[in-house]
Amino acid sequence: MSIVPKEAIEVTSIVPKEAIEVIAQSIGITNLSPEVALALAPDVEYRVREIMQEAIKCMRHSRRTTLTAEDVDSALSLRNVDPVYGFASGDPLRFKRAAGHKDLYYIDDKDVEFKDVIEAPLPKAPLDTSVKVHWLAIEGVQPAIPENAPVEALAASSDGKKSEYKEDGLPVDVKLPVKHVLSKELQLYFDKITELTIKKSGSILFKQALVSLATDSGLHPLLPYFTYLIADEVARNLNNFSVLFALMRVAQSLLQNPHIHVEPYLHQLMPSIVTCLVAKRLGNRFSDNHWELRNFTANLVASICKRFGHVYHNLQPRVTRTLLHAFLDPTKSLPQHYGAVQGLAALGPNVVRLLILPNLEPYLLLLEPEMLLEKQKNEIKRLEAWRVYGALMHAAGLCVYDRLKMLPGMLTPPIRTVLKSNGRVMTKMPNKRKASTDNLMQQPPLKKLATDGAMGVMPMNSMQVDMQGATGGYPKAVGASSMSIPLTSRQLPNENMPGRDGGQVLKASTVLAQAWKEDIDAGRLLASLYELFGESMFAFIPKPELSFFL
Amino acid sequence: MDEEQVVKFVETYLKKKGFKQAELAFHDEVQHNSNANSVDIHSDPDLSLLLLSLSQSEDTPARYHEEYRKLRSWTHSSLDLYKPELLRVLYPVFVHCYMDLVAKGHIQEARTFFNSFREDHETVHSRDLQKLEGVLSPSHLEEMEFAHTLRQSKVNLKICQYSNELMMQYLRNTKSTMMLGIVNEHINFQVSPGQPSSISDDAEVVTLIGNSQDAANQINKKEIHWGLLEDSLEERLEKAGGLLSDSEKTEGDAKEGDLDETKKRSVEGGKQGASVKKLKKDKAASATAKVVRPETNTSSIAPRVKSELPLPVIPTEVEQSILEDLRNRVQLSSAALPSVSFYTFINTHNGLNCSSISQDGSLVAGGFSDSSLKVWDMAKLGQQSGNSVLQGENDTAPSEHVLGPNGVKRSYTLFQGHLGPVYSATFSPLGDFILSSSADTTIRLWSTKLNANIVCYKGHNYPVWDVQFSPLGHYFASASHDRTARIWSMDRIHPLRIMAGHLSDVDCVQWHANCNYIATGSSDKTVRLWDVQSGECVRIFIGHRSMILSLAMSPDGRYMASADEDGTIMMWDLSSGRCVSPLMGHNSCVWTLAFSCEGSLLASGSADCTVKIWDVTTSTKVTRTEEIKTGSANRLRSLKTLPTKSTPVYSLRFSRRNLLFAAGVLSKCK
Repeated sequence: MSIVPKEAIEVTSIVPKEAIEVIAQSIGITNLSPEVALALAPDVEYRVREIMQEAIKCMRHSRRTTLTAEDVDSALSLRNVDPVYGFASGDPLRFKRAAGHKDLYYIDDKDVEFKDVIEAPLPKAPLDTSVKVHWLAIEGVQPAIPENAPVEALAASSDGKKSEYKEDGLPVDVKLPVKHVLSKELQLYFDKITELTIKKSGSILFKQALVSLATDSGLHPLLPYFTYLIADEVARNLNNFSVLFALMRVAQSLLQNPHIHVEPYLHQLMPSIVTCLVAKRLGNRFSDNHWELRNFTANLVASICKRFGHVYHNLQPRVTRTLLHAFLDPTKSLPQHYGAVQGLAALGPNVVRLLILPNLEPYLLLLEPEMLLEKQKNEIKRLEAWRVYGALMHAAGLCVYDRLKMLPGMLTPPIRTVLKSNGRVMTKMPNKRKASTDNLMQQPPLKKLATDGAMGVMPMNSMQVDMQGATGGYPKAVGASSMSIPLTSRQLPNENMPGRDGGQVLKASTVLAQAWKEDIDAGRLLASLYELFGESMFAFIPKPELSFFL
Repeated sequence: MDEEQVVKFVETYLKKKGFKQAELAFHDEVQHNSNANSVDIHSDPDLSLLLLSLSQSEDTPARYHEEYRKLRSWTHSSLDLYKPELLRVLYPVFVHCYMDLVAKGHIQEARTFFNSFREDHETVHSRDLQKLEGVLSPSHLEEMEFAHTLRQSKVNLKICQYSNELMMQYLRNTKSTMMLGIVNEHINFQVSPGQPSSISDDAEVVTLIGNSQDAANQINKKEIHWGLLEDSLEERLEKAGGLLSDSEKTEGDAKEGDLDETKKRSVEGGKQGASVKKLKKDKAASATAKVVRPETNTSSIAPRVKSELPLPVIPTEVEQSILEDLRNRVQLSSAALPSVSFYTFINTHNGLNCSSISQDGSLVAGGFSDSSLKVWDMAKLGQQSGNSVLQGENDTAPSEHVLGPNGVKRSYTLFQGHLGPVYSATFSPLGDFILSSSADTTIRLWSTKLNANIVCYKGHNYPVWDVQFSPLGHYFASASHDRTARIWSMDRIHPLRIMAGHLSDVDCVQWHANCNYIATGSSDKTVRLWDVQSGECVRIFIGHRSMILSLAMSPDGRYMASADEDGTIMMWDLSSGRCVSPLMGHNSCVWTLAFSCEGSLLASGSADCTVKIWDVTTSTKVTRTEEIKTGSANRLRSLKTLPTKSTPVYSLRFSRRNLLFAAGVLSKCK
């Protein structure tokens, strides 16, 4: 709008004497001689210019780049002329082009019904002026907070057009749509990557694209688009295994890129990733190896938690809560359980110890019928159950391994059950999971246990953890100290004191139920795990410690 | 050409011009001295040509058009090496052709002439052209200051010998007498031997300003003491080594301090020879020579000057807190950028004209077009709801309205008293007073302790655009539409000094660090430096191409930065009056400038919604040593651009601890 006065000048660059005559007539002078009009015309123009010059000064001193009617009034008063009434408004005037004329503008002035004005409800009182404070920069670096212009908007703001045309209409602040300018090259790059991801994820080119995504420095402007792409395509392609896997690979590459700041987009990215971990179905064909995708995603989630956990304090608690819900919900399908277990296991042995082990025994009770041939006729279902079993075992084993590594002295020697089967373990080492699987496969299949009825079977302690999780603080997050107190007191009545009362082997369930405790004896833990998993557990025990048992 | 012819020419000329008396006198003269030798006209073909042209009766406007067109096309097809110089001649010729046409009453022709050639000069001189465009009758020429001064003065153009010859030859050969006349009448060629000058230093040519360059040069030769004040707090801190609290140092210590100072100087004098003395009394005439001398740590040997004004005494406890701040100051440099705290005004309804931030950033003032001045206390901002609602509740001052129209508690203190838009506000250094200037021609002093108006200063005749407290308080300077800047003291209602000399509005004003000078920026595109004691103009800085909007003085007193409507920032060396380097980067009005406390960084805030941080130290050093070698001004390095979210930046302020405060209004853009 700032150009309006200039345009006005252009238009009247020569005030024609006819204009003077018209004005004269309008104020009642009919006998104006042509010479007078001719002499007046240039002077009128000069005066108008003079007023505009002063008005622009007033505009500048009001720190504006848009000329308003107010400025012209101030300029008129500077020259001791009465202001022009009738144009006072907070907004810049809106000129309309007169139809059929190139350079003729007018201000739209609608007729207003008097009745309407009187009966109209009072307009809302405008909000009062206030001041808000934020950090524009901290030691020269702009923090990524909503008050600051987004990094991508930098390109848009620097083209300068923005500042020229400003208007202040409504009294309330409205969220501004951020104009986003991408270079042609980046657009091409994005299109190419999208195409490769969706259509040719098996090609060598895609592998190279992943490398490029993980290393190129100029990709940050594309991040919101990639985030959106991943979220969008994951939601649409839950049946398409290869696309899902490709998308996860893209996500991983983006996370690896040191030049990209993923943090602001993490909250958009996480749901899609967790979906690929614990979704009911990933891919529609039997041949789709969705287990692999789940494993891959579990590691991805773990790496995200590791990298951004200290920036977003509630990131890992939220992830673990989601996964634990999936794990403990018997209505969820087994692949979902598998994903949850893998996800939790990837987060580290501590998480396993705190969240999986206490729930291990009751869960296995549920799982067992699924694995037996006689109870579960559906081969796929049975296979799935074995997968979950394997995952649980793996997780538990790693946890024990970790404990043993950390506290080798904590082993309690008298574990008779363990000693008995030592010889066999050594031989079973190389094919741990298969061996035990084969063993159990021989057992007669039990009848399928309806999963929907399992809710009541869920034991006490798992529910407790669940509830605790729902309140938002996981033992992991708070260092397993403060939150554990109520839990302990509740559990103490139904178990023996874990003291050293004569080398007595505690019942597996109670040991596991206490697994979250910091000082749990690794040997006892191992023993109880052995009860559940059999000798395959020893595969996870490091050699020096194993020899200890021998 | 014989004598009779000449006489005839002169007669026709006088007749044409209507100089009847002169004609008669001339006639008599001719009668008397018919035999005497008259002027040696024959030898001067220029003159005869000129006379010829003047005598020609068909002195039509078309000739202006035609000759200018020819000159223009000739210039454009001239040798590349000399073209820039020759092109520079075109603009003054163009302007004077136009004004000649107007003066002779050929309005219509003047208009066509103007429109057909204006595009050539649009890029550099668009604002001048806009002004000139409105000149439509001979009377306007007289009335309009700009046109008037142009007619009165001569334009100085540096041009090399060969270019000059080329130009003259062309004008003679083509008998472009009109052009020749204009060139002779209005352009003063400063012919220099050797190679044509490059385009870079045409800044001096850009403004055809009333003051001829000579006068400006004359003024710029005046002596100027740009050093810092003796016995300033910074100096005391340096002496104390930052270890001891200086609170014990009282008046009695001042003498000892002086002794120290002289000792220090003598030691340095031994090392540096006469440099200290030279530095202290800097003369522009010798400035160019001195620039070559390598500049070592300027801050430590910055000369000290005595104040020419009686200065206010700072209370001890305040002094202590200032010293504390100085000790805790963050050292900023190109590697260590400042933290920026941004105050965003919202819901201003397009009414905020200016804002100001107190030294410690705890108070923010906004001047509004509805005549009000509002002050926010940032300490109270967080806890608005509770008991915080302004201690002045029991105060009966009429300016204090704690409750809004709906009984809603306000977060600010409202100061009412002005009768027109408030254009500027400034906090006193201690934050206990605010000055505001308004379109109602007054300046008002408000107390932030009493929340009341204390004094109303009247003196200006037109809106007061800007008001600034001196660095030590008590004195303040104002700038007004009435083309003057004035110096005031808080205890007198009349101005102490009136600085007159600008050819247009004085738009902004700034104090020098030692309080002995003020700088003013004007719509006439110049910045001037004035001696506060004598009221004289001691420097004119020419180079900006549009209205000056903001000024800042470096804390060491050596440099000044000024910014204009186009977004150009210029850094000036006060002693030489030269532009150290232009800073390009903003593309809209630069509303505010601020130097960091140790002077290594310059921050600028603009209508293009950015805060830019510029490196001062390296760029000034580089140019100082290379200025003479290369002859081209290096550009200051832009260190960082901090974009805001569609918030034009109205004011900037470095706290004593070097935290940068910025303020602006959230505005919607398309």
